[in-house]
Amino acid sequence: MTVQPIPEIASTPIRSAAVPLQLPGRKKGRWFQRLWRQGLKHLVLLVMALLFIFPLFWMILTSLKPLPQAVTFPPTWVPHPVLWSNYPKAMASQPFGQYFYHTLVYCVTTVIGVLIASSLVAYGFSRIRWQGRDRVFFVMVATLLLPYIVTLIPLFVLYHHLGWVGSYKPLIVPTFLGSSVYSTFLLRQFFMTIPESLSEAARMDGAKELYIYSRIILPLSKPALAVVALFQFIYAWNDFLGPLIYLNKQSLYPLSLGLNEMLGTYSTNWSWLMAASTVATMPMIILFFLTQKTFIQGITLTGVKG
Amino acid sequence: MPADVARQTAGRAARRQRNRRLRLGLLFISPWIVGFLVFTLYPFLATLYYSFTNYSIARSPTWVGLANYQGLMNDHLFWVSVWNTAYYTVLEVPFSTVVAIAFAMLLNMKVRGMAFYRTALYLPTVVPLVAGSVLWLWLFNPSFGIVNDALGLLHIPGPGWMFSAVWAKPTFVFMGVWAVGAPMVIYLAALQGVPQEMYEVADLEGAGPWQRTRHVTLPMISPAILFNVVLALVAAAQYFTQAFVMTQGGPDDATMFYSLYLYEQAFSYLHLGYASAMAWILFVIVVVITLLLFRFSNRWVYYANE
Repeated sequence: MTVQPIPEIASTPIRSAAVPLQLPGRKKGRWFQRLWRQGLKHLVLLVMALLFIFPLFWMILTSLKPLPQAVTFPPTWVPHPVLWSNYPKAMASQPFGQYFYHTLVYCVTTVIGVLIASSLVAYGFSRIRWQGRDRVFFVMVATLLLPYIVTLIPLFVLYHHLGWVGSYKPLIVPTFLGSSVYSTFLLRQFFMTIPESLSEAARMDGAKELYIYSRIILPLSKPALAVVALFQFIYAWNDFLGPLIYLNKQSLYPLSLGLNEMLGTYSTNWSWLMAASTVATMPMIILFFLTQKTFIQGITLTGVKG
Repeated sequence: MPADVARQTAGRAARRQRNRRLRLGLLFISPWIVGFLVFTLYPFLATLYYSFTNYSIARSPTWVGLANYQGLMNDHLFWVSVWNTAYYTVLEVPFSTVVAIAFAMLLNMKVRGMAFYRTALYLPTVVPLVAGSVLWLWLFNPSFGIVNDALGLLHIPGPGWMFSAVWAKPTFVFMGVWAVGAPMVIYLAALQGVPQEMYEVADLEGAGPWQRTRHVTLPMISPAILFNVVLALVAAAQYFTQAFVMTQGGPDDATMFYSLYLYEQAFSYLHLGYASAMAWILFVIVVVITLLLFRFSNRWVYYANE
């Protein structure tokens, strides 16, 4: 990376003349101060980290308490006795098996849809040069800023007439038609980084475009495909609004709607509610720890740099 | 003449090549084209049409001109929802931006064990929205919640949080800090892209921490700030799930946000024309604000590559 001129700083009068050249923390006698500073940094970070993790910790603690203990004020910390039975009871209060099954179906099918459609579209936007490509790409990216509310009502009417309301079709089918613009964008960014010479060489050998796509570009893009699959999985797992609008029967609900339903029925049984919330959250946290590398890759892919 | 013929043939070959690439490119992006026409462009225009009609899905729309818009102007609850959403947005966007940047700067320090701190602060973003909402209902519970208990230790009487008309909206803003991880990592990536040499030069010039931040860090990450602020605005204007799950618009309509009222009009009363008018008003507002942001961004956004 080349060194850029520092904006503004040159024009700002700074006490450069008055202050003798002094690089912080470089002098020998300052080790104590440095230690103190490091300690302070750790302290601030540690307090923040604990504050951020605490809600999850409290969720699990509450889920293991007998209800009367959960709702005492001031709160007691250690569950006594540790009531594991809150979990099976909370799970039995609602058809959670069904909820899980629907959520998984929603996640897996839309991940497949996104992997197929978004990669094809991203290929068309990055590996083939055609007139007007970048203008069309701009239109696609601009739709990211379109409030979902603006298209919501006609879509509902459309799906109603197609007889799709009351099924997962409105949530699944669009992903096979490139509705996940963000995924397409990320894949396109990645495809752009693959040297053009690879495609050229294959074309010289008479390879068809679909062959280059499936045999050269996709295998090279496994990390990016993993990112997109992961993001879509989490999105579908957490989606609330889509299911709320299109799924009108409890027998169709995914976890997100099921949990909301439970909140309506057992609004004061905090032990059960926390047990159910823990069950809905844990798969995401486990997934996060298993795929941390992919997460970091995803962040680099967005390519928003200073 | 042979030269002419050769040039013509070459020109024709080039044109054929160009057309072939155009066809191929369009073929690859065709899933998105279909999706865009059916799931974005058509509904986008249909909402505009519906907004001039009286429509309830059972019967076909009847033209009413500007009646929906006039109705909205005299609808008290509509103005309440506009006020709530504006209030929330004005509070949320600057607050979350400052917090996200500050946290990103803390996470960009050179400290051992940083991976742990970064993980802890990012973790809440993978918690499902509904589970998180249920959890915060519990933490902020006025009678048994841990937040009011902690405040009690400091001899501060805790408010009713989302059960108080005054505190409900700020409660959602505070809650949002927990999920600040998404913009935070984008800022972190931007911070890591700032060349170290610039800080060395700043040090030589005798710049203090505040001047380094003001004149080096912030200008260098300003594209990321613009990106995140636009996203935050669009998201705040459509704030829905947490309010739907936690307060359903109460108390006293204090959290009746724009999308919540639109949802109610569209799906509880099937006033589809009326709701469509609301959708278009929001669309125009979002577009105007976004354009203004971009228009004035050249005053404060610094692009190193230009």
